[in-house]
Amino acid sequence: MEELFLLARKLLAEQLDMEPEEITMETSFEAIEADSIDIVEMIMAMEDVYDVEFPEEDLEEFSTMGLLVKALYKFLKQVKK
Amino acid sequence: MNIAVDVMGGDYAPAELIAGAIQRLQDTDATFLLVGDETTIKNELEAYRFDPERIKIIHASQVIHMDESPATALRKKKDASIVVATRLVKEGAAHAVISCGSTGAQMAAAIFILGRMDKIDRPPIVTAIPTEQDDYALLIDVGANVDCKPRQMLQFAVLGSAYAATLWDKSSPVVALLNNGEEETKGNSLAVESYGLLKQNTNINFVGNIEGRDIFSGKSDVIVCDGFTGNILLKCMEGMGSFLAKACGKELGYIPAVFQRLDYSKIGGAPLLGVEGISIVCHGSSKREAVYNGIRVAEECVQKNIVSLQKEALSLSQLTE
Repeated sequence: MEELFLLARKLLAEQLDMEPEEITMETSFEAIEADSIDIVEMIMAMEDVYDVEFPEEDLEEFSTMGLLVKALYKFLKQVKK
Repeated sequence: MNIAVDVMGGDYAPAELIAGAIQRLQDTDATFLLVGDETTIKNELEAYRFDPERIKIIHASQVIHMDESPATALRKKKDASIVVATRLVKEGAAHAVISCGSTGAQMAAAIFILGRMDKIDRPPIVTAIPTEQDDYALLIDVGANVDCKPRQMLQFAVLGSAYAATLWDKSSPVVALLNNGEEETKGNSLAVESYGLLKQNTNINFVGNIEGRDIFSGKSDVIVCDGFTGNILLKCMEGMGSFLAKACGKELGYIPAVFQRLDYSKIGGAPLLGVEGISIVCHGSSKREAVYNGIRVAEECVQKNIVSLQKEALSLSQLTE
């Protein structure tokens, strides 16, 4: 999960023009002014890296980086099985 | 030239979208790809006579509605009309797309399918405002980005300058920042910081702040603002125009022709700038005349090659990635 989180925060930090260290698992997307387009863009970049297509969840359900990363990690584990 | 028309988006979809496309067919050589529910489109088309070689139906089974979160809807509804229509542009089957549907969904489709140009965070929407000089000024952004950063305001200025220079043949367009005062220190933090960035950039002809009352003066060719302010301003102008037209109609017994210049249906639509393709945003309340003119704008953008010209302007600009 650590690897997934580091990739997610690197991608999001690049998009938002901020330092990756400013984003933790507890960081809320609202607090860093990341909107749904930012989040989808990050997810799409991650899909390219892992060569998968994440399920089309309602992004509104994931208010923090941690909640999103956990959901993506759970999906990746299922795919690997 | 092929133009993809998302006929499922807008308050009067699909009837008025199809009517506008059929009307435009008579004044152009272009072919129109009507994107939406095939059965519905076929039923609507029965009312018209047209050259079947120049009207093609591209089926799309879904629609993204105004109340849906654009980015989420785009991922869930892969067969939505705006997605299919934008994909036609990406794949080269169409030269441009026009839509009267959710602006957010259209912007998200443009970002994710067409892609953004280098140095651009988010595409802005522009609109033309008539001026006292019998000319137009460009207002940018009028709603695509409600929360903006100063660097985005600078990007809008560069893209707006390129648009005015290209489509309106203005050499060195005059750029101003919409604010609540002319002095450099006026405004909120976004305005003050944006002023500093615009002033430093030597690739644009920035002349300072412009107040709301001066936007019709013709002093500026490109007026930069965030999408929240721009959208309120635009709708306020529409409401004021409509109010004055009705008031004049009552007093004079007729509506003076000048009000036609404020009528969005005559302007038709405007492109999303900063994306790798032509995507024309039309008013959600567009009827056939607005659609006709929206398609006309799309054809003009294709003919004038606005994508390449924006990219050229960006490559010369001092914007950073």
